[in-house]
Parts: sequence; structure tokens; C-alpha cells
Amino acid sequence: MTKSRFISLAASFLTLAASVAQAASVRVQVVDQAGAPVADAVVYAVPASGKQPATKPAGAIIDQVKRRFVPLVSVVQTGTSVTFPNKDNIEHDVYSFSPAKRFELNLYHGIPAKPIVFDKPGLVVMGCNIHDEMVAYLLIVDTPWFAKTDAKGAATIENVPADGYRLIAWHYRQVDPDAQPAQKINAAADVSAKFALQLKAPE
Amino acid sequence: MRLHSLRARIALVFVVLMLAAQAAAYVVINSVILKNAHQNAEEQLSVAQRVFGQVLRGNSQQLTQAASVAASDFGFREAVATHDSSTVASALQNNGDRIHADVVMLVDLDGKLIAESTGAGHEGMAFAFPHLIKAVAQKGDASSFGVIGGKAYQLVAVPVKAPIVIAWVVMGFAIDDAFAREMSSLASLDVSFLTVDERGHWGVLASSLPEASRVALKNQTQLADDGYATRLVRLHSEGRTVAVLLERSLIQALAPFHRLQSALLLITLLGVIVSIAGSMLTARSVTRPLAALAQFSRRVGHGDYSRPIEVRQHDEIGELASAFNQMQESIVERERRITELAYMDRLTGLPNRALFSDRLQAAVSAATETGRPLSVMMMDLDRFKLVNDTLGHPIGDTLLCEVAKRLQTALLRPTDTVARLGGDEFAVLLPGDDLAAARLVAARMLHALEAPIMIEGQLVDVGASIGIVTYPHHGSDMNVLMRRADIAMYEAKRNNLGHAVYDERHDHNSAERLSLMSELRQAVEHDQLTLYYQPKVDLATHRVKYVEALVRWDHPTRGFVSPDQFIPFAEQTGYIKTVSRWVADKAIAQCAAWQAQGIELAVSVNVSARELIQSTLPETFQTLLDKHGVAPERIWIEITESAIMDDPNHAIETLDRLHALGIRLSIDDFGTGYSSLSYLKRMPVDEIKIDKSFVMGMAQHKDDETIVRSTIDLGHNMGLKVVAEGVETEEMMLQLKALRCDLAQGFHLSRPLPPAKLVDWLDGWRTRNGLAQEISLSA
Repeated sequence: MTKSRFISLAASFLTLAASVAQAASVRVQVVDQAGAPVADAVVYAVPASGKQPATKPAGAIIDQVKRRFVPLVSVVQTGTSVTFPNKDNIEHDVYSFSPAKRFELNLYHGIPAKPIVFDKPGLVVMGCNIHDEMVAYLLIVDTPWFAKTDAKGAATIENVPADGYRLIAWHYRQVDPDAQPAQKINAAADVSAKFALQLKAPE
Repeated sequence: MRLHSLRARIALVFVVLMLAAQAAAYVVINSVILKNAHQNAEEQLSVAQRVFGQVLRGNSQQLTQAASVAASDFGFREAVATHDSSTVASALQNNGDRIHADVVMLVDLDGKLIAESTGAGHEGMAFAFPHLIKAVAQKGDASSFGVIGGKAYQLVAVPVKAPIVIAWVVMGFAIDDAFAREMSSLASLDVSFLTVDERGHWGVLASSLPEASRVALKNQTQLADDGYATRLVRLHSEGRTVAVLLERSLIQALAPFHRLQSALLLITLLGVIVSIAGSMLTARSVTRPLAALAQFSRRVGHGDYSRPIEVRQHDEIGELASAFNQMQESIVERERRITELAYMDRLTGLPNRALFSDRLQAAVSAATETGRPLSVMMMDLDRFKLVNDTLGHPIGDTLLCEVAKRLQTALLRPTDTVARLGGDEFAVLLPGDDLAAARLVAARMLHALEAPIMIEGQLVDVGASIGIVTYPHHGSDMNVLMRRADIAMYEAKRNNLGHAVYDERHDHNSAERLSLMSELRQAVEHDQLTLYYQPKVDLATHRVKYVEALVRWDHPTRGFVSPDQFIPFAEQTGYIKTVSRWVADKAIAQCAAWQAQGIELAVSVNVSARELIQSTLPETFQTLLDKHGVAPERIWIEITESAIMDDPNHAIETLDRLHALGIRLSIDDFGTGYSSLSYLKRMPVDEIKIDKSFVMGMAQHKDDETIVRSTIDLGHNMGLKVVAEGVETEEMMLQLKALRCDLAQGFHLSRPLPPAKLVDWLDGWRTRNGLAQEISLSA
């Protein structure tokens, strides 16, 4: 009860803000074919008008901790610089053969000198050349409005200007990696959406 | 060696037992061997199967490892990720060459070939073994067999990760003949890879076998029949079925066992041979002494007691041999006793007839060889029967013993033998003595007996008669010598000579009798006997009612032979039976003939004592009467009084039966047989005939006349007719008539006549007595 009241309060606040800045929140719930909540799913909204804010995207960080990429799944706007700090006491050699971005950070400790700029939209799968089990997914999207679901499968895209959008969901375990489940939404006000994805079993 | 001999049987039992044991052992060992061989072959197959699986797994691991190395190569991954197909192809080739892989392929996630090492240009086509990749994706690693372009390969798949799976590397080794041979040498059996085509036919992919032998692989049941242990293992495969066939030649597998088998057979054979030899030796050790014993007992059987059997062993056979020796001694002793009894006269202790015969035989044989003479004497005591009858047998026996003693003393040499042949008959054998010497001995013997003998206080005077023969003068046969000595002895006795030498003239009678017998036989067989008939005349009416048949023998060389000469002789030999039957047959036939001529004559025939006690006599007569159709009333049978008295009861029984037939009976020679009147009373006779000695003596002796008169009265008183025989004169006939005798028979009336002459005589008789008409009428 308190929560719903809080949400309604927030909603009225947002409505107020939108009316001021004309912005809304998009709440998305992602479940799998069994109806279970799906974490680490990426949702992003592409404006139907194609209008993009001119703001330069902020940088992103993908850590390497205990021979794992953290986070496993990241989403960034096209043109984002990503740094790959190595927090293990062993060297890693981060690489990607993905068409969206091919690169290799030769064996290194700590923070590499230059971040990698991901200037093309698409999926970049990264690995470590000396640790085959290490994998990280970086989805590069042409929009600043994106979010990643939490453990409950819920994600919220904030400050979405009022407009019509294509809301797209992606997950690295999708059965059909090329499928792009999408919904049309109108962000005149806060809006909710739900995706049910066909996923492969985790390896 | 006969099959039934003990030796053969012992050997046979041994050998059969040995054979059975050996055969059983052979069969058992053989079956164990065979079972082992099959087990071995099966084990080899199992081992081979395991080895094979191990090799395949090793290959799979090797392939997987090589593929993994390739797949994890950064450059390779980069090339794959960037779709640099020519680089990818060369990299694949390179990695494949490192482990001599025969095929290397890269397959994308859609299951399409990106590149392949063969460069056959299959890029873009679907990968033929998607399940292999699926299995690897699920299980981590897997291998499979598949046929690519007609060749079989063992394939593995490994993912290419960058870092997620972006493609699959597939590597494979060819399953070719070289591989099959390698496998074959590892497992030491034949290895073949087979496949089944769409129609279910087996095809050979690769084999360690030469090409020529591969055709057989297509039919595995045939292989089993050809002596192969096989195992077909289906390999994990995709597409066409791939299987491996492991074969082990049982012939090869069994080869060492066959050698063992041969050795075993040889041992068995040797065992049998050794056991045959052993059993024969054993059997021989038993049967040899037995054979010796058998031979010994045969020797004893032939009367050879010269030496006992040698006792060498101390076993059962040795005991048997000892028993045989004891038996032999007992036999010798008993035989001596028996011989003594058989050859000794119990009364006098002298040799008996048997021993005398033996010695005489031996002496004759010896004399024949040496050419020396020998003499034989037969001696018979005079008046010994009188001594026996008057003084009794004990005295007689004592007398014989004394005589024996004296005779023994009379003989000087040990080679001379005096024997008692029986009764008062003694015989003496004098080997080497000629007639002169024998005469001296005989004289000495007689002299020895001259001194009276005192027995139980009585003086007995005894003499002897001795017959002498010499060899070879009087014969060379023992029996001839004995018989002739006997004849000489009788001659000595008859003429009271003391001793007499054999003379052929003495022997004449005997020879004549012998030849007479055989001639009589011939005479009967050749009808040389004839019947004469003598009429009996009725003294009251002068009629002739019947005739007596009398047998006559007209010998071709001897002339007339009197019945007195041959009838008693025939009676002694039993030949009288035949003669009597012949006579009866002829007489009855003659009776029938006369009847046919109208002459009424009854015929009487004589029957001897011997026949009278023969119970078949009535049947014989009945048969003859029937044969000739003569009424029994016409036949008379004459029996001598003495014949009846031999066995009166039997005789009377036979006479009763004859009488019952209707035959008339007449007692012949009445008055000479001391017959009891009580018997006469019981006998069914019709007539008595007074003996001719009384009739003929009637004229001279008053006694005879009295006898004749009394006999006639006796006969009449008993209701019998009386016939007088031997009527030779008219006076006698008249006298008999005066004595009221019924019938007369004799030379005065008629001699016995042949039938024809009898008829003439009858005619004359009737004419003389005026009876012709009457007889002819009655006929």
C-alpha cells in the first residue's frame, strides 16, 4: 500500500516534471517463456521521430573481477567510451571479434591507457584470450533511453521525452539472436510494458 | 591265442578297462580343451573389443585435442570470426596435418560447411552429421563414425568460441585398411569395418584381410560355420550404420590345442599298447603254469607217471601243482591195486585169463620179432566136477589152490606163466620153448600132480589133461593158439593121454560145424531144404489121416545131411527159429496144395523147445494159416516131452494158446523126458507118440513091451490117441494092433517121402487096402 502510494506520488511528480520538461518513465517487466522474471535483459526505446538529444554519452566501465567480466551484460549509447579495469592480480587480454567493434587489449594489469570507443550500434561479445570462460556482452544502441532488468526482471527507463517510441527487448540467451521483440509505446506519460522472451537454458 | 583262452580273456579285460579309462580321460580332456579354446577365442574377442574401444576412445581424444587446439587458436578464431575463409581453410589443414587427421571441417552454427580440408568444394552445403555437434553441445565431447564419399571416418567436433560458440571444428581419422591392420596387429585377430547399405546389404569399408577374403565377410553366419569366432560391434555412427567385425580363426586358435590333442592321443595309444603287453605278460604268468599243469594231467591221462610236475611257485598255482602230484601218486597206487585185481585170480593168486591173454599177446609179438618159438599149454583137471559135487565147493577150491601151487613149482623160469582161466582150467605160457621143451614141462606138470593131495584129512587123487601148441608151428594168432591148445587138451582128455600136441585132424569137426552153419543159412535162403512126409496109419481102419513133415537137406557136395546133424546145431545157435518157420510155411502150403488136389491130409510139424517158450509162436501159425487158407484142424504140432519139461509153465501157456486156435497137439518121444503126469494132465494135447526106442525094443525086451502097453493104456485112459513110431516090421505092427495102439508110423509102412511120391504111395496103399473109393469120396 505504501509502495503504490509512493509510486502514485512519483507518477504525479513525473507528470508534473513532464509537463514542465515533457518527460516520462517507461517501466518494463521481462519474463521468459515460463513466466519467470528475466534479469540482465536490455530494453531500449528508439524514438519514432529519430530525434536524438545532442548530449554526448557518458563513459562506461566493465570490470574484470575474479576472472569474470562485471557486469556480464552492459548497454551503452553509440559512441560511448568504455574502460576495462583489470581488478585481478593476473593479466587479462580482452578482445572482441564482433563486427560492431573488433578490438584487443593486449595483456594488461590495472586500467588500460585508453578506453575503447564503441561507435557502431550492435552487439559486442568480449572475451579474454587467456581465460576462455570469461565472457561479456555489450549492446550498443542508438538511443540514450535504455535500461537493464534487475533480478526481478524489472527495468525503468527514466526521463523519456514525450514521443512515440519503438520499445525493444534483448537478452544474450535469446533463442533467436537476431529476433528483436519490439513494442510501440507513447511516452506522453509514464508507461508500462511487458516482454516475454524465448530463452535458451543457461550454460 | 584262442579267444576263449584264459589268457586272451585276461588280456581282453585289461585292455578293455584300459581303453575305457583312456577313452574317458581323452573325452574329458578333449572337451575341456575344446571348451577352453572356445573360451579363449571368446576372451580374445572380448579383449580385442575392449582394446578396440580403447583405441577408438584414444583416437577420439587425440582428434578432440587437436581440434581443440585449433579451435582455441586466437588467430584461427579471429579468422573464423572475420569469415576469412581461405585463412580458415589453411588453418584447418595445418591443424589437421599436425595429427595426421584425414578430414577437418568447419561448420557454422546453422550446420553449414564453412570450410573443409579436402578442398572438395563442399562449402555452403549442409554438414552431414548434425547429431555429432548436438551431442558435443550437450555432453562436451563426442565422437561418431560416418561415411563420407564412400570412406568411413571417425569424427569428433569441437566448438570454436569467441568466447561464445561461433562455429564447430570437425576432425576425423579415416577408417581404412591401414587402420584395420593396425587394429589387427594390436588385438591379434582380424578386424573389418562393415556398413549396411539402404537395401540392408553388408559392404566392406576396410579390413585387415586381403581383398580375396573379404567377400566372406558379408555373410557372418557362414563365417561361424567356417570355424571363426566372430563379434560384430555396431559403432556409434550417423547416417549409414558402421560396424566392426572382429574375427578369430578357431582353427588357428585351436592349433596349439590340436597339438595337445595329438600328444594326448599318442599317450593314450602308448598306454593301450603298454597295457596290452602288460596284461599279456600277466596273463602268461598265470596261464603258463596252467598250461604246464594241463599238459601234465594229459600225460597222467595217457598213463605216463614217470615224473612229477616241478613245483616252482609258492602261490595258488604252486599248491595246485602239489595237489596234482599227490593225485598222481594216488592214481599210481590205485591203478596198481586195480591192475592187481583185474589181472589176478582171487582164489589162487595166479594170473587170470586177462593177464594171460596180455602176456601171450606180448610174447607172440616178441616172438614174431625175435623169430624164437613159444609154447602154450592148456590144462584141465580130470574128475574135478566129481570132487566138487561129492566133496563140496570149499574142498574144490582148496584143491585148485594146491594145484596152482604145484604148477608154479613145476615151472622153473620166471618168464613162464601159469594162469587160471576159470573153473579147473589152467594155461601155461612158455616163451622161447619149442615143442620138445614144452612136452618136458607138461610131463613135469603132470608128475607134480601125481602125488595125492591131502585136504581136510581126505586124500584127493587128481589128474590132468594138457593140450600143447607151439608158435609159429600151430598158428601165429593168439586166439588161434588158445583154441587149438584147447582142442589138443580135449583130445588128450578123450583119449586119456595126459598131454597131447595139437593135430589138425582133431580140429576137423569144429571147422566142419562152422562151415555147416553158414551153409545151412544159405540152404534156407536158397530153398535147398525140402520137406518129406511120413504117413501115420490108423491101425484099426488102415486109413491114412495125416502125415508128419520131416526136413531133409540135400547138400550139393556133402549129399544128404541128417537132421540129427544140423538141427541140434541150429538150436544152439538160435538159427532154429528161421528153420522152423520155413518148415511150418512149407508144410502148411503143402497141406493147402493137397486140399486143392482133393487129398484130405492133415500135416504135423515139429517145434523145438526154444520156440515153445517163444510167446509169438501162436501168432506165427495163425499168420501162416491165414496166408495159405488152411483150417487149423488140419495142422498138428509135435513137441518133444523134454522140450515141455524145460519150462513147463511157459510151455503149457503157449500150448493153451495154440490149442485155442484149433491146432492139434502131439507129444513126441513120449517116455524119454521124465514128464510128470500132473503136467500131462494139464496139457491140452490130443495125442502122444511112443518113442521109437521102446517100440523097436518091444520084440526083444519084455520091459519095453510093458512100457508100450502101459503108455497105450495111460493115453487111452486120459482120452488121448497113441501113436507108435519106428514100426519097422509087420510083426511089430500086428503086436501094436494087439495092444490097441491107435496109429503106427515107420519104415515098414513108408519112409518119409517127397509129396509127389507120397501121393503115389497113398494110391498104392489105398489099392492094397481097398480104401480108394472111400478116400476119394471123402475128398
